[in-house]
Amino acid sequence: MATAAASWADDVDEFELPKLPKPKQTIDENGIITIEEIVINDDGKKVKVTKKIRKKIQKAVVEHAVAERRQWAKFGKEKGSSPGPQVATTTIERENVILKLTAGNKDVDNEPSEEQIIKDNLKKSGAGQLKCRLCSGGHYTAKCPYKNELAGLDAMGEKAGGEDDFGAAGDEGAPTAGASTIGGKYVPPSMRAGARGAGESMRRPGGIGRDDLPTLRVSNLSQDATDSDVRDLFSRFGRVERVYIGRDRDTRIGKGFAFVSFEDRNVADQARQKVDGLGYDNLILKCVWSQPKE
Amino acid sequence: MRPILLQGHERPLTQIRFNKEGDLLFSCSKDHTINVWFSDNGERLGTYDGHNGTIWTVDVDSKSEILISGSADNTMRLWEVRTGKCLYTWEFPTAVKRVAWSEDDKQLVCITEQRMGYQGAVRIFTINRENPTQQSEEPDAMFHPIASKATVCAFASPSLIVTGHESGKVALYDWQTGEEVAVNERAHSMVVTDLQLSPDRTYFITSSKDKVARVHDSRTLDVLKTFATETPLNSAALSSQKPYVLIGGGQEAMSVTTTSLRQGKFETRFWHLVFEEEIGRVKGHFGPINTLAVLPSGKGFASGGEDGFVRMHHYDESYFRAKPYGDLEVDL
Repeated sequence: MATAAASWADDVDEFELPKLPKPKQTIDENGIITIEEIVINDDGKKVKVTKKIRKKIQKAVVEHAVAERRQWAKFGKEKGSSPGPQVATTTIERENVILKLTAGNKDVDNEPSEEQIIKDNLKKSGAGQLKCRLCSGGHYTAKCPYKNELAGLDAMGEKAGGEDDFGAAGDEGAPTAGASTIGGKYVPPSMRAGARGAGESMRRPGGIGRDDLPTLRVSNLSQDATDSDVRDLFSRFGRVERVYIGRDRDTRIGKGFAFVSFEDRNVADQARQKVDGLGYDNLILKCVWSQPKE
Repeated sequence: MRPILLQGHERPLTQIRFNKEGDLLFSCSKDHTINVWFSDNGERLGTYDGHNGTIWTVDVDSKSEILISGSADNTMRLWEVRTGKCLYTWEFPTAVKRVAWSEDDKQLVCITEQRMGYQGAVRIFTINRENPTQQSEEPDAMFHPIASKATVCAFASPSLIVTGHESGKVALYDWQTGEEVAVNERAHSMVVTDLQLSPDRTYFITSSKDKVARVHDSRTLDVLKTFATETPLNSAALSSQKPYVLIGGGQEAMSVTTTSLRQGKFETRFWHLVFEEEIGRVKGHFGPINTLAVLPSGKGFASGGEDGFVRMHHYDESYFRAKPYGDLEVDL
């Protein structure tokens, strides 16, 4: 029964199989064996596969006992297997594993986690910490008592010229060299030591950044609400500086939240209290102070 | 270097061992089989079938004739290396955790677990080599290490057995009297996971879950060298020809899924025997490394992991040329 069932299925399969030419094998004068084979790949297309093999016989002088063991018949689960390694049990790793022997502890290899790098950089950019670029003392570089002696050195080490001495700029001697090479990874300029931290903006310092404006975060907003809708809703409390609606990048459909910046903090607070819990387009709005980006 | 992957096991490896010449590699695992491989090309010569439980340990004699294995099915078996035939079986009340041959191939030592009301015991058998199927059922000697149970053992000399214990203790016993000759209670602070002797048996290396591997003197048990890492260690091996030690370990199997590959440190680490500094690492396993063995010729090593793979490494030319500490050479 089983054979009958197998036979008609097999017949069809064999019928479907196109005739493929036999692989051609040639050996050139350098002993390189070239096998040309025509096979059908996974997409059902005929492809020619050319394999070049160079056989290299490695000879080793071994102890008599070792040579004798080579002749032993296989046993157990390998009983009757052909000589040589079996594909099922033995494979050679594709990747080349590198063992580099060097002195010194390998703690350098222990790359700190991403989080740690960011934290370290933030620490380096040091909010509120002062560090003199000349003597590393806790004062502005311009007020360094050793200014005259060390100024020459500073000019040599300082490459990222034009760095201002604004409050939080806690630059170290050579910020670019120190930080951009952490673990050999690329570090974006904003993460490097000397940067003012994430979200560095050209408007700052001096001008008023958008973060400085009192901003409300409105959530549970209708998908259909437009900028002008939201502006209308909030402008009854006071002057609205800016409205931003979070939208899907591709479809441009609202994601249900918006940021509204006011000029006046008191006005914003009033708007926050009034709008929080307000019904708008069948949804109850939630309105809170926007948390500045970390 | 392109390691050879030996996929003969379906469950975590427990121990791997080379024979004296280093052409055969014996591996045993929790899947009840023992495999033997040719170390140069990774070809499997055969399997030793018969155990009915996790096989914790194997050891082969120096002539590569008789293999001994200990299993969680409470038996210790003697095998003919060449044919895979089981020659003799001893039954014990509890699992056999460690076996080792003596230097002269005449005796073997085994540790049975402390469990189900039975005390942990160390037994010494003399092997009848003329007629291996006829063995005495009773051991020559048996003693019960007091306090902490023994986990690993080896013959430090024909009359002395060195043991590693669950408490981290390392001790030396005279097996004829069962007397504790020397002891180092504070060798490790947690369970000793592996113990491998130097070729001349004058010193040995131990690894422990306390993240430290140590080299001890075989007579006094003094700690000669300490290698401190940051992961629990499962195995440590002394390299031959070069003054290196190989250390393997990694996160506990149960916490593997909650730690990243990077953090897990599933690498074989090379440390310098004398300077106690890490000098290199070999990656590859997807789980903790359970067992390490070094080719006696010093031309390679093998590692067995919790992932069920044995990786046989043959060093590149650069390994032999490398001089991490300049022209400073250490005589071994």
